[in-house]
Amino acid sequence: MEEFKNNEYAVEMYKIVKEFNDVKAIDNVDFLVKNGSIHGLLGENGAGKTTLMNVLYGLYHPEQGEVIIKGIKSDINSPTKAISLGIGMIHQHFMLARPFSVVENVMLGRKSRKGILLDTKETAEDLVALAEKYKMKIDPYAKIWQLSVGEQQRVEILTALYQGAEILILDEPTAVLTPQEVDGLFDTLREMKNDGKAIILITHKLEEIVCIVDEVTVLRDGVMIGNVEVDCNTTKSELTKMMVGRDVLFNFEKSLNKTGEKKLEIKNIKVLNDKNFLALDGFSLDIYAGEIIGLAGVDGNGQKELCEALTGIRKVESGEVKLDTINIENKPPLFSIQKGIAHIPEDRHITGLALDWSLKKNLILKTFKDNSKFGLIDEKKIQERWENARIAYDIKANSGDDSARDLSGGNQQKVILARELENKPAIVIANQPTRGLDIGATEYVRQKILDAKGDGAGVLLVSADLEEILQLSDRIAVIYGGELMGILPSGSDVKKIGELMMGKKLEVKQNA
Amino acid sequence: MRNKLIKNLNQVLLVLGIIVLALLVGAIIISFSGNSPLEAYFSMFNGAFGSKQRFMEVLVRMIPLVIMALGTSVAFKAQLWNIGGDGQFIMGSILAMAVSLYSGLPAIIGVPVSIIAAMIGGGLWSGLAGWLKVKFNANEVITTLMLNYIAIYFLSFLVYGPMMDAQGSKMPQTALVPEAYRLPLFESGNRLHMGIFMALILVVIMIFFWKSTVGFKIDLLGQGEKVTTYSGVSVKKMIVLTMVISGLLSGIAGWTEVYGVQYRLLEGITSGYGSIAIVIALMGGLNPIGILISGFFFSALLVGGATMQRMTDIPYSIVDIVQGLIITFIIARTAINFKEIKNKIARRMGHVK
Ligand SMILES: Nc1ncnc2c1ncn2[C@@H]1O[C@H](COP(=O)(O)OP(=O)(O)OP(=O)(O)O)[C@@H](O)[C@H]1O
Ligand SMILES: [Mg+2]
Repeated sequence: MEEFKNNEYAVEMYKIVKEFNDVKAIDNVDFLVKNGSIHGLLGENGAGKTTLMNVLYGLYHPEQGEVIIKGIKSDINSPTKAISLGIGMIHQHFMLARPFSVVENVMLGRKSRKGILLDTKETAEDLVALAEKYKMKIDPYAKIWQLSVGEQQRVEILTALYQGAEILILDEPTAVLTPQEVDGLFDTLREMKNDGKAIILITHKLEEIVCIVDEVTVLRDGVMIGNVEVDCNTTKSELTKMMVGRDVLFNFEKSLNKTGEKKLEIKNIKVLNDKNFLALDGFSLDIYAGEIIGLAGVDGNGQKELCEALTGIRKVESGEVKLDTINIENKPPLFSIQKGIAHIPEDRHITGLALDWSLKKNLILKTFKDNSKFGLIDEKKIQERWENARIAYDIKANSGDDSARDLSGGNQQKVILARELENKPAIVIANQPTRGLDIGATEYVRQKILDAKGDGAGVLLVSADLEEILQLSDRIAVIYGGELMGILPSGSDVKKIGELMMGKKLEVKQNA
Repeated sequence: MRNKLIKNLNQVLLVLGIIVLALLVGAIIISFSGNSPLEAYFSMFNGAFGSKQRFMEVLVRMIPLVIMALGTSVAFKAQLWNIGGDGQFIMGSILAMAVSLYSGLPAIIGVPVSIIAAMIGGGLWSGLAGWLKVKFNANEVITTLMLNYIAIYFLSFLVYGPMMDAQGSKMPQTALVPEAYRLPLFESGNRLHMGIFMALILVVIMIFFWKSTVGFKIDLLGQGEKVTTYSGVSVKKMIVLTMVISGLLSGIAGWTEVYGVQYRLLEGITSGYGSIAIVIALMGGLNPIGILISGFFFSALLVGGATMQRMTDIPYSIVDIVQGLIITFIIARTAINFKEIKNKIARRMGHVK
């Protein structure tokens, strides 16, 4: 029996319990992963997926339970130990040293083969070979800050492989990738599986994974709900039902296009990015009241800079931005806040939240003046607001005094949404609003965005997720290299949108 | 509510824990040096609390230290490392002194005006560092330190030159503050003055300050510039405002020292309070009550140590040792608090110690 187990399973976790402040985040969970397989780990936001994997990677010490790696009972008390056992983990947020090159990052924390001299060249060669083997493309001497998110992820994976990972944990790796990059990643993972490695894949995008995973385990509120084998025929709704405990329907009532007047006019703006290169090069777009305009595009083509320019966070070098009839370009952020421009930023950890602050205080980041009496923050009022937001947005937290840092990724996003959408905004600028959210929350957020539109808001929906764009948008704008490639009607062909996303300009004359 | 209580209690216990630990480790070092730690601590304790006179002296010392530490805490909360408390203290006292010596105002107007002058002196001196940071991206650690030196030399220049007491003994000091201007004493023969109420009132004010919208913005700045900007708060304005508030408190500390203890300006009037105030602010967790407790402890340590040195052969360096240990433990605590950073490094490097 023991022998048999040895051969079959790469990871065996039994009866794991992990508590935070006496609340069980993981409650008596069994989790088994076979050698040479890809195993999906599913569950809603806050279900405990990341926590369980942090236990496996030695970042958290479980209160109870047993971990067996390749048939050997192991006490994984640190990531060093985990790595020595052949476990690698790619986190939801990358941990690369940005000023360094790819190969330097891989070499960090490792002994050189040449004693006190660096073995940069040898390592670089090894890396290229390794990357080739697993169907990845990488320039070992490129600096991290020059890489796209997808490339950075490849570096993380390569690092883990280079450290000898036989068991690879990927925490929501696809959330930040373009469809093409997702395909590339999956090719790599298949290759690794054929090599006999075990891969654990956390994701919220079910349709993506049914064809690649062999098996899934579903967690709900820290409890293991089930463990099923999966193939291309498994439907999304079967899995959803397991995760949420009910059916989730992505059938939104898209109200007929009753667009109002022009709300926001972006005229020929030029904006620089952090590296002082032109991120937006003469970009123009009009947003009307009561419409959702989806902005499709591969990440890093100026979307973030556009959102920041519209909210006064980033300087507009030339051009105009008009809200109704007022020019708002280069006005301070407070101005756009007061004019009712809501902003759901892409980067929730550094921009959207004060991570060390309580949830209550995070809810009033922009409205602290209205939530004060005689210049003092009104504790009672913000407690009430918290209670309302917690119920309305189904935020899973112990109390409003928890710090934002301790929430799961999806719940952090809900806090931001609760803050931004609460006061009936005139314009909503939503940059990747459902990234990292589970199905239930995604459904909820999309409904909220539609509600905002129903209330007459003009919505700019920036998303790398075409499905999302198609589902919600009344018009679809495509951005590439800081320029508008064209505007397509809702219901346009994915292929057509894809072409524009790759930089093909819409021939206006021919289409008209 | 209960959570908050526990949090505050933890804070107090931490301060006490650091003190106890420092005293214990200090005891070991003292016994290595051939002295008896029990005797040393006893005479220190005795030196601080052995008589009413001594205890009052502790409180006298505590007044400027606590006020300055409150000032330091404001900047530190925003992650602005204002280490120029001494300079702000000096510029505050110079301006206040100028009012009482030259304005000729009656005390009833002159005293409040001199307090305001002290706030302006300290606030502008510190605000200048804030402005340099905003305008030229100059690191405030360096500018506040340099402004300290300028203030110290400026004071020397004044007390040797234009402000030197004309009638006096040709010592490097100004004339005395007119009697009507001085802070009243509790009882004659003791130095404890009414400034102690000012310190206590300021502690209470700061408790409310952190619940105010201005305190909210300063605290927010400490959470990062991006989220501050995003929230509609101007980072530049806040940097300057935070530095001004931080410095004006140190200016008030200077005022209490001049009007309550020295009654004149002289060289070395700060006695290096600035660096002790930094330690007090950190040890108190930047929290007003914590600052009050650690300020009291430090004053007792300083006064007790000085008495000990006068009364016994035990060297004063014991005070420095205990002080050094406390700084070490505070740094260690901060390091442990940064669990997240540790985790990040661990994830990246695959090392956990
Ligand atoms: N360090 C921590 N301190 C306190 N509570 C925590 C901590 N880490 C996680 N939790 C709590 O444990 C629960 C599980 O969180 P976890 O991050 O594992 O969820 P998840 O399944 O990864 O969610 P998501 O899909 O949003 O990433 C959440 O309720 C979260 O608030
Ligand atoms: Mg997670």
